[in-house]
Amino acid sequence: MTWLVWRQYRGQAAIASVLLAAAAAVILADGFQIASRWHSILVACAGNTACLQQQAPLVNGVVSDLPYISLLVPAVVGMLWGAPLVAHELEARTSDFAWSQSITRMRWLTVKVGWLLLAAAACGGAIAALTTWWSGPINAMSASAFAPGQFDTQGIVPIGYAVFAMALGITAGTVARRTLPAIAVVLGGFIGLRLVISDFLRQHYMAAVTTYYSVGGSFTAPGQSWVLAQGAVGPAGVVVATGWGDLYPALPASCQTLLPTAGTGKSGSLSAVFSCMRAHGWRGFATYQPSSRYWPFQGIETGIYVLLAAALIGVTFVIVRGRDA
Amino acid sequence: MSAMSWVVWRQYRAQAAIAGALLAAFAVLMLVTGVQVASQWHAALIACSANHTCGNLADSLFLGSHAIGFLVIMTLGVPAVLGMLLGAPLLAYEFESGTSQYAWTQSVTRRLWLVAKSGWLLLAAAAVGGVVSGLVTWWSGPDNALQGDAFKPGRFDIMGIVPVGYAVFAVALGITAGALLRRTLPAIGITLAGFIVVRMVIYGWLRAHFAAPVTTYFSLAQGFTAAGSSWQLAAGYAGANGQPISLPQSVNGPVIGGSAAVPGLPVSSLPAQCQAAAGNGPLTPATYHAVLSCAQAHGIRGYLTYQPASRYWAFQGIETGIFVLLAAALLAVTFTVISRRDG
Repeated sequence: MTWLVWRQYRGQAAIASVLLAAAAAVILADGFQIASRWHSILVACAGNTACLQQQAPLVNGVVSDLPYISLLVPAVVGMLWGAPLVAHELEARTSDFAWSQSITRMRWLTVKVGWLLLAAAACGGAIAALTTWWSGPINAMSASAFAPGQFDTQGIVPIGYAVFAMALGITAGTVARRTLPAIAVVLGGFIGLRLVISDFLRQHYMAAVTTYYSVGGSFTAPGQSWVLAQGAVGPAGVVVATGWGDLYPALPASCQTLLPTAGTGKSGSLSAVFSCMRAHGWRGFATYQPSSRYWPFQGIETGIYVLLAAALIGVTFVIVRGRDA
Repeated sequence: MSAMSWVVWRQYRAQAAIAGALLAAFAVLMLVTGVQVASQWHAALIACSANHTCGNLADSLFLGSHAIGFLVIMTLGVPAVLGMLLGAPLLAYEFESGTSQYAWTQSVTRRLWLVAKSGWLLLAAAAVGGVVSGLVTWWSGPDNALQGDAFKPGRFDIMGIVPVGYAVFAVALGITAGALLRRTLPAIGITLAGFIVVRMVIYGWLRAHFAAPVTTYFSLAQGFTAAGSSWQLAAGYAGANGQPISLPQSVNGPVIGGSAAVPGLPVSSLPAQCQAAAGNGPLTPATYHAVLSCAQAHGIRGYLTYQPASRYWAFQGIETGIFVLLAAALLAVTFTVISRRDG
């Protein structure tokens, strides 16, 4: 059965390997340039944070879009390999033949699904490893490992995405019994779920940490942490995000009058506003996920996608078992 | 022809209904959140003009929500989806299921069949691309005004008329890939890969050269900012002979001049005479002035190379034209292949 899977997919495996090798060549060639630039910046700045912040971005142009292209890999795997797995057999009526052999239908499905999920995990892992290595200096320079588009392309989550997209394709094809609608379902479902989880769920994997500090002082969460909200909080618990536009109306009248106005050039009066705010019991606050939670978050997100994939595969087995050949 | 159009409508009415429903949902979402964004922008403008902080509004104001912003960026993928799901199966699926033998042995000629099918699908793709782009362009109005970067990749590419060109090209690419490969799945793969590669080559390397950029030289003391949403291609400093001054890869030490658009000129890159004027340690107002006038005496100026904001629609037109021409060339290949093929 494994031999059969290899015979059926060796062409596609060859194409996938060539594409992965080409991606690896581009990423490696570019990654070494980035690493050497980063090294020269580190030497020149010698631990001076202000110096690091005034450097030009490490990447720009088309190269900076490499991680966004790698976001597509799981969807492509699910559309082109997952969706046709059962749907194309049914469409071409080869299921009549495949499912009436000495090998049982369940075993046929187990071996095919197993190898394809493994291949999806390998593709996701290979592209994630390359992107993670390539992004190392960028993560370090902009302290942004949690940023969407960076968290999602590095570490182990791409493996979870790829396994899930493959499972979604297989299940959609089994339910729809036609390849093209299944492909559309993979695309819509994968993007929709990724959007919901990355924008609404991810920040709640663990209760965020909130730190208070004196107004006018500054606070930077240490390391590559994920700042969810930062601003000022008033005595009555009024929370205002950073930015004078929102802060101005919330301030007590006595502090509002101290705000600098254009033309007068009273630059020193900002500190007067800050001390007025302090006197009225205002504090600065930052709510964030500490950088130490990066790998737990990667693990939780991967776990969610792998569990969803397992549930989808379970549905597929139930449907295929119940269906007449 | 009208009979053929009827066939096309019968074959695609379910897909048209799905596409229509998705477009309607997207339109509702864009309209509802777009009105919110517009009022948020309006309120921020009133607040910032009350306390005179409009100059750095872009640093503190975030319009809309991350989720909607992400959805707007995702419309970059609409043309590719049209090409994969409408274009690629058009011929490939007929070949695969053998229905081409039936379709091409009717009283309607093979060419007329292809003209009607590809014509209606290209029109539908252009309409979908145009509607999505219209909604996104309207939704992004306040954000465009706030950020002033209409030429930026990811912004230029989802607004105006270029998405129409992309959609027509992607569908033409799908039809051609299907005609050549005769199988749907490989055609879908080629459509996706080809679309991404062509788009990257054009926005990454060609777009900047649609028209010769403008280079403005400016005095170190005054600085320079290009008006409106211009597209900055290069910036730096040049000596008296116009030769650019090579800057170190990383800067640590005093600089003179500089703005948001053009980083400051490191003192270490100046002639030795001017470096001597800087003395040791950080610059004081007096030494800053001495270094500045020394650099100016050596004829050192800043330069900015850019595409002016006024070229936005010309660039949109050129890029759309390129993709429509590529689509026409692909369709010509398809017609040649189909006319010569035995039914």
